[in-house]
Amino acid sequence: MSTQLKYKDEESDGEISGRSAEARVITVAVAGNPNSGKSTLINAIAGTRLHVGNWAGVTVEKKEALFDFGGRKIRLVDLPGTYSLSPYSQEEIVARDYLVHERPDLIINVVDATNLERNLYLTVQIMELGIPVVMALNIYDEAQEKGYRIDGKAMEEMLGIAVVPTSATRKTGLDQLLDTALRVADAPKQRVPKKLNYGEDIEVACDYLAKSFRTSYPALTDSYPQRWLLLKLMEQDSHVMRELDLDDLDFLDQALHHLRKAHGEDIESIMADARYSLASGLTREVLHKPELRPTEITEKIDKIVLNRFLGIPIFMAAMWLLFKLTFDLSAPFGAWLGSMTDGPFKRWASALLTPLGAPDWTVSLVNDGVIAGVGSVIVFVPVIFAMMFFITFLEGSGYMARAAFVMDRTMHAIGLHGKSFIPMLLGFGCNVPGIYATRTLENPKDKVLTALLVPLMSCGARLPVYVVFVSAFFPNNSSTVIWSLYVMGILLAVLMGLIFKKTLFRGEAPMFIMELPPYRMPSLHSLCVHTWEKGKHFLYKAGTYIFAVSILVWFLLNLPWGVEHKRDSYLGQAGAVVAPVFQPMGFGTWEAASSLISGVIAKEIVVGTMGEIYAPKKEEQAEVPTLQEDLKEIGVSFGAACSKAVKTLLYLPVPEEKEKDRSALKQALLGVFTPLSSYAFMVFVLLYMPCVVAIAAMRQEFGTWKWAVVGLGYQTALAWCAALIVYQGGRVLGLGG
Amino acid sequence: MIPLGLLSAGENGEIVEIVFGKGEAGRAGSAEQDKSMVRVEEMGLRIGKNVEMLTNGGSTILLRVDEARIALARRMAMKIMVRR
Repeated sequence: MSTQLKYKDEESDGEISGRSAEARVITVAVAGNPNSGKSTLINAIAGTRLHVGNWAGVTVEKKEALFDFGGRKIRLVDLPGTYSLSPYSQEEIVARDYLVHERPDLIINVVDATNLERNLYLTVQIMELGIPVVMALNIYDEAQEKGYRIDGKAMEEMLGIAVVPTSATRKTGLDQLLDTALRVADAPKQRVPKKLNYGEDIEVACDYLAKSFRTSYPALTDSYPQRWLLLKLMEQDSHVMRELDLDDLDFLDQALHHLRKAHGEDIESIMADARYSLASGLTREVLHKPELRPTEITEKIDKIVLNRFLGIPIFMAAMWLLFKLTFDLSAPFGAWLGSMTDGPFKRWASALLTPLGAPDWTVSLVNDGVIAGVGSVIVFVPVIFAMMFFITFLEGSGYMARAAFVMDRTMHAIGLHGKSFIPMLLGFGCNVPGIYATRTLENPKDKVLTALLVPLMSCGARLPVYVVFVSAFFPNNSSTVIWSLYVMGILLAVLMGLIFKKTLFRGEAPMFIMELPPYRMPSLHSLCVHTWEKGKHFLYKAGTYIFAVSILVWFLLNLPWGVEHKRDSYLGQAGAVVAPVFQPMGFGTWEAASSLISGVIAKEIVVGTMGEIYAPKKEEQAEVPTLQEDLKEIGVSFGAACSKAVKTLLYLPVPEEKEKDRSALKQALLGVFTPLSSYAFMVFVLLYMPCVVAIAAMRQEFGTWKWAVVGLGYQTALAWCAALIVYQGGRVLGLGG
Repeated sequence: MIPLGLLSAGENGEIVEIVFGKGEAGRAGSAEQDKSMVRVEEMGLRIGKNVEMLTNGGSTILLRVDEARIALARRMAMKIMVRR
């Protein structure tokens, strides 16, 4: 934590005046319930200026933005969405540690106007901190459409905080919110929230405690918000007690004596009741609902989507549609990027390097190493961004939470509840955020079990491998084959979950409780922002890891110096040693083995390495197109890709192109694999050990190598068995070898 | 007074008692139970609240509390008593 702030001194500060105020950066923390539209609001205000990172020491996401508004500098800090500031989850602890120790100038409390009472429960707790608060009465448009009347003026008077109606989705009220925030930040003294009355018994105990505490621990009263600290002491908040190292306070017992006698032992729930009755009393005062409550569209949709019998089929159909849209839309663009790196880029690189007197091996390193390696992965940028886009859509529309609900029963069977399903769903994008998302689970056993199963979800990085093989071997039913791999991952996760449950993780399944947000149409802007946030990790990996690994693999393939055949290179030798292990699965070649070895770094590298191994022999081209011709061709083929994507989506017939653009890699694969062995290979890629980044994430998350090693071991064994069964089983069934 | 988990879809009830989180002798329950109790209350399921059962079937039920839809394990719902 940073310097200890003096709370008492600050109270005697007057208004901050004149020039110094203008130069100062105003720190604004944004707090609110999950589903209050907080992240939409922040996106609408800060947009691309948003910087995403992690809170120090934990893997809760931290978003920050620094920007100018009205000639002033504002630093916006997004706190994790929480229902309260209790010490029971990582998110809550992060939020309150920030508010207490970093002490922002101002808190913007985002409140869902359609669900006032529960949101005000958090507001009441935030007000205990004594930091100026501005309430963003968000989703105000929907509240009005429902016929709610909310008396903002009355709320301002009762709470002593400014209230600004906003709609983050329609971007209304945002400037006014920031204006108000600046005004409040400039006059913090006059804008301290009212001290709410928690009832006589609590207040008397609090006063008594204040006196004894101030004499015994004067330093502590200065470095914590006073009222907040007293209330937390009364609740015997475990986190605060540990932080202050106060265990036995006899005056605390005296202070609470009467309260306990009158209301019972459980002070924590007495306080919770006091706060909640303030929230509900306030709601009664300011909110006028229409008498008749029409059935909402959300409920109508839920009746179907959450139906006992229809729920799971609808979920499966949604997933299928997700894949279908992803692949149909992105395939033409992937092909376009591929034709660009294959042709023009390599030609340009040679044209640039050769006149500079670069030796042949440098040209080869750049062309066959870097451009071929990174290029064969860049081809998958469209697929991954398309998939992230649709996953973001499912999240933003509210369906993702329904998926957890629908899957709860299934998850129960493997000793997890529906909430564990969300990390798994995220795992489809990339296993790494999936593993980090296990943070949201409260029970440590669930966390570990979920994290062990997440890598069975087929991540975006495995997609490039499937796409190459499927387009070579199963061009006519590519979606179905890929879908079958995803389903296999899920089924094996169920199986492994059952096995783990019976062996490593005995005990009761945890309780399930979660909120299902109303269905909303996410705005295109927020979809794009979130898609970018998710997808950029892939670009980053392509630019760093994969770049480095491509160079490494090129060297391994071309050393010892002057190696004639790639089989004799270091990587080829290593592959040849391992290859017999894969013989029973039908791909015991050194090429396949070498690719799998390098794929441990990141699974998409399997394709990159294959691209280099099977790189086409240099053919002298008869005529080299000029730069203008190249540029023109790039533009023309991009246009063609756009129209093809649209046509496929609308089920218009796409004129069959002459298959001349089929890449050299596919040709080479067709000669080495059979459809059956290619499927076994894909199964192996799906299941074998998680990439190093995922292993590192598990290590970081659980603070021990134990679970990372367990994951690594069981997955590799599973992969070997599954691929063997597929291949040998297929042969027995006469599917060819 | 019946357990919340026994309301059928479309029925309303007022919460009158939440019995989990309390041990058998009326003392505070285990840490895990306390946590569940706090979660339930934070989500707005409190004594005196009116709730509507939206979906009841399977191991998870769906409730409406004010304007929020809360999904809840049946085991928890059986420990929340309501008056119809």
